[in-house]
Amino acid sequence: MTSWIAFLQEVLLYGPQILQGLGNTLLLAVIITFNGLVGGILVFYLTLSPRSVVRRLTDGYISFFIGTPLIVLLFLMYYGLPQWGLPLSPLTVAVLGFTLNVAAYNARYLRTAYNGLDQQELEAARAQGFSGLEVFRYITLPQTLRLSVPALTNQAILNLKDSSVAFLIQYTEFFAEVQELATRTFQYFKAYLLAGLVYLLLVSIIVLAARRLEKAILRPMH
Amino acid sequence: MALLEVRKLVKAFDGKAVLDGVDLDLEEGQVKVIMGPSGCGKSTLLRCINRLTEPTSGQVIFRGEDVTRPDTDVRALRQRIGFVFQNFALYRHLSALDNIKLGLRKLRAMSEQEATSRAEHELRRMMMQDHGAKYPAQLSGGQKQRVAIARALAMDPAVLFFDEPTSALDPHMSREVVALINQLYLDNVTMLCVTHDVFLARHISDRVLFLDHGCVRAEGDADHLLEDHEDPHIRAFFGRETQGQ
Repeated sequence: MTSWIAFLQEVLLYGPQILQGLGNTLLLAVIITFNGLVGGILVFYLTLSPRSVVRRLTDGYISFFIGTPLIVLLFLMYYGLPQWGLPLSPLTVAVLGFTLNVAAYNARYLRTAYNGLDQQELEAARAQGFSGLEVFRYITLPQTLRLSVPALTNQAILNLKDSSVAFLIQYTEFFAEVQELATRTFQYFKAYLLAGLVYLLLVSIIVLAARRLEKAILRPMH
Repeated sequence: MALLEVRKLVKAFDGKAVLDGVDLDLEEGQVKVIMGPSGCGKSTLLRCINRLTEPTSGQVIFRGEDVTRPDTDVRALRQRIGFVFQNFALYRHLSALDNIKLGLRKLRAMSEQEATSRAEHELRRMMMQDHGAKYPAQLSGGQKQRVAIARALAMDPAVLFFDEPTSALDPHMSREVVALINQLYLDNVTMLCVTHDVFLARHISDRVLFLDHGCVRAEGDADHLLEDHEDPHIRAFFGRETQGQ
């Protein structure tokens, strides 16, 4: 018990750094969740293009980013690009890498939901006189977003958890600070347990929010 | 002048003609029914007229204007044709009221208040005023049909197209659709209706057009066509259908 109290005292001592790290984690997670959603919608829109070249290129993009480990992309940009005279900050690399990756996943979720839409509703919208973009904006997108809420919130959870990978490119996020705490106090078990609990708490908040969102917007559609 | 004149309309898919030179006239205020066996091109005909499907050749003249020309404003054309789909095709993420309001707000640029009052008016006309807040999933087939008609009528179309309006309804609801279409006829709404349903055809229209293999095989009074037509093929078709009722 006394060792836990001693450990918590250390945590309090490192409190400001840990909180700053937590702030950085949340910053990155919020940015990539937002960018990934906007990017995902854009990529999804391109998968519906009437031009087969655009569709093929978009499918290629999705397959490439789903098929490539994110860490490779991050290392390529963070350690590789400076060799070409293009040094980027850790946050920039993390935002770019995650956005490209998450957008591909989100586009795939939206596309899967799109396959389940009633095509006659889309035809009805065209028959009413809506343009292709208007049909997308008023019918396709609202419906696919609603159907994708579970998949998109899962992705938001993954974003939060995977943001810890950014510590490998020197981005001082929450896990990096916990790592620091662990090595300084030699309390590895307690430090990582603390990290796990904090992530669990944050994920629980997302899950609860997602459930409320689902109840509010999904129920009337079924 | 006819509201709609279709001349030698051809639609081929992969070289196979689904419509093979169809002629059709629809006068203002008229209700015309198109019948024929499955796959005869009935629905394709409706879709070619509002250019949801591009016709291969031929002309569609809408109020004196050839709307098959490449410079036609297709979206403006579609806004003048109300289309009621087979499965009603209500936007499932919107309430009944919002289904009607969407076109008014976005295509007619009406204010929120104007659109709401217009949509409520159309729902009342269809006796659906108590169901405006419900979502399509909470409505019965007949109720969805009424909302779909209200959605089409709200746009003040020159003509209303029905694609198999009774195929997704039970017999009781089908009779209600007959009453509904007749009420619209009295309100001077021009209608073109594609159907298999002899009961519907007989009770909503005096002019029936029989389409077969992409051609108009016969056109005439409902009684003549449905009862004792000289063409044995047509007699056989309706004979089978009426026995099956």
